[in-house]
Amino acid sequence: MKITFDVQSLEINPSGEEYVAVVDGQTVRVQILRADAGTGRMELSIDGQRVVAHVSSDMAKRWVTINGQTVMLTKTSGAKRGVRHDYAGGLIAPMPGQVRSVSVAVGDIVKKGQTLLTMEAMKMEIRIQALNDGKVTALHVQQGQTVEREQILIEVEE
Amino acid sequence: MFSKILIANRGEIAIRIIRACRELGVRTVAVYSEADKNSLHVQLADESILLGDAAPRESYLNVDKIISAAIHSHADAIHPGYGFLSENASFAHAVESAGLVFIGPSVDSIRAMGDKAESKIKMKAAGVPTVPGFEGLESDEEFRKAAHEIGYPVLIKASAGGGGKGMRVVNAENELSEAIESARREALNSFGDERLLIEKYLANAHHIEFQVFGDKHGNLIHLFERECSVQRRHQKIIEETPSPLLTPKLREEMGAAAVNAAKAVNYFNAGTIEFIFDPILSTLRQGSGQAFFFLEMNTRLQVEHPITELVAGIDLVQWQIRVAAGEKFPFTQSDFTQRGHAIECRVYAEDPANGFLPSTGKLLQFIEPQGPNIRVDSGFKTDSEVTHFYDPLLAKLIIHAENRESAIQRMQTALSEFIVHGVVTNIDFMQAVLKHEDFAKGKVSTRWVEKTLESNSLLLDVKRQASSLQGLISAALADVIFAGAKSQPAISNETDPFNPWKQTRNFRVSDK
Repeated sequence: MKITFDVQSLEINPSGEEYVAVVDGQTVRVQILRADAGTGRMELSIDGQRVVAHVSSDMAKRWVTINGQTVMLTKTSGAKRGVRHDYAGGLIAPMPGQVRSVSVAVGDIVKKGQTLLTMEAMKMEIRIQALNDGKVTALHVQQGQTVEREQILIEVEE
Repeated sequence: MFSKILIANRGEIAIRIIRACRELGVRTVAVYSEADKNSLHVQLADESILLGDAAPRESYLNVDKIISAAIHSHADAIHPGYGFLSENASFAHAVESAGLVFIGPSVDSIRAMGDKAESKIKMKAAGVPTVPGFEGLESDEEFRKAAHEIGYPVLIKASAGGGGKGMRVVNAENELSEAIESARREALNSFGDERLLIEKYLANAHHIEFQVFGDKHGNLIHLFERECSVQRRHQKIIEETPSPLLTPKLREEMGAAAVNAAKAVNYFNAGTIEFIFDPILSTLRQGSGQAFFFLEMNTRLQVEHPITELVAGIDLVQWQIRVAAGEKFPFTQSDFTQRGHAIECRVYAEDPANGFLPSTGKLLQFIEPQGPNIRVDSGFKTDSEVTHFYDPLLAKLIIHAENRESAIQRMQTALSEFIVHGVVTNIDFMQAVLKHEDFAKGKVSTRWVEKTLESNSLLLDVKRQASSLQGLISAALADVIFAGAKSQPAISNETDPFNPWKQTRNFRVSDK
């Protein structure tokens, strides 16, 4: 079957006692030496090399730790995606928190780097700044409002 | 000794205190907010009392609610932990007025040292060296003049502050107004007090602090230093003891200054004297005098107290409770030596590649490392929720070894066995710091993380290897073989669903 994480696809299929994975035209033979669904711990032999991986799943996200290094992968349909601080001219909340102050109004002309609003999360202040010179076309939040991660806060048009 | 103690805190430190109480045969009362109702500290305490909403003002910072919880549960003392109300003199006063014992120093000591401005004046009078600066300024104009006189860069910090909250480095005059405004707001929000002070910002300084400990009978000693220079946003990430920088002579001088500083405010219980230490000045002055300056005193237990416990061989939290109950501290300075080397790494739910922004979510996996001389102080387990209401500290990983070199190796091994899934952590980042040659040489100053990140050499090390072949294969294979396994939780009220005595079909004990 074909599985895609972020922008990387691979084909993985059982073949007798082992699995065969194809990534970027490269064929890799994988054996499962031990696997525990409870802890997500897998002991694999990948092309003869012993690999211990811990894997957790949460919706589309996969967390993988190998040799103490953790990576987070997102299962996708293959289209390019990712979390950004801007989205189609809008500025989004980098994390959940509360809007502390709003320093601009719709119609205001703003300069690149200007602080538009401040958020607070975990007692830390986060400044949301204009990415370019432009005009505020929409303001989706007000002071004191609780916002979710990736919620659009304000829109600025160049 | 007390019969029951209320712990006015949450997370790992609440658990640390509960364990100390248990060893002393003291019952414990946990307090908690709505967001923490399933937390470990609530589960471990003998009793627990809900304070209110998740917001600290409605819960862990609410003096009235905490004191009425203590009275209600018939506790005879309150341990404040660190953060929250631990250095709040009005809280300590309210505790005592309610006829309870505050496990910490006297109200007067907290007041004298809690105010960064007042304490600087007191320290100057006691002959303890302090950083050049001004206290008691109000208008932007006064700050502007003061900054000009001291010379940029300057540091603006909350008079009532601590832990880097309400603190701003100002490099030039045009940044001053915004820095004052945001520091004031953060100070008001974190401490309910917006007064600020200004002082010279020492760019290449090391942060070296001394643990002091005293009883109510006039005995007070120091328990050596902690080097806490690996910081981000003025908050510590890695601490160690002994400091690789101190000579025995300097250690003795700084220890004596720490004891003087604490005695100047009639201190008892656990406290920490923070110094900034300038190794360049130290070399210039041949390792003596004027290379260290009093920064502030923390009139409470520190986050990093475990490394002192390991090297000095003492349980600080137990002794906090014992001296608060009036016991005499039976040890003298010469009873203590530094045995081996200890390091603490603070595992935070934050993303080093994204400006150390906190990361929230449910912990899908939380596996702590184990082994000889490895200690983990944490308040989380698999399935715990990391919320945005409180500090993103997940765990403190503390190790002890014979010397610095083997301590670093042990820490690297332990960190590599620490598995946290569900939130982004700084584990990979700390690994990059530990293997950096500057860390090996003890050359990490308080601005090092910031400077090294700017030059990108550290970021490259921690950059996610998102396309690593082994990672991809493991993730894909997990999808194939674990499919459905996790979505079928064993929902059963039976303690043992396979108990043969409860089987009703096809089961016979004997074949008669």
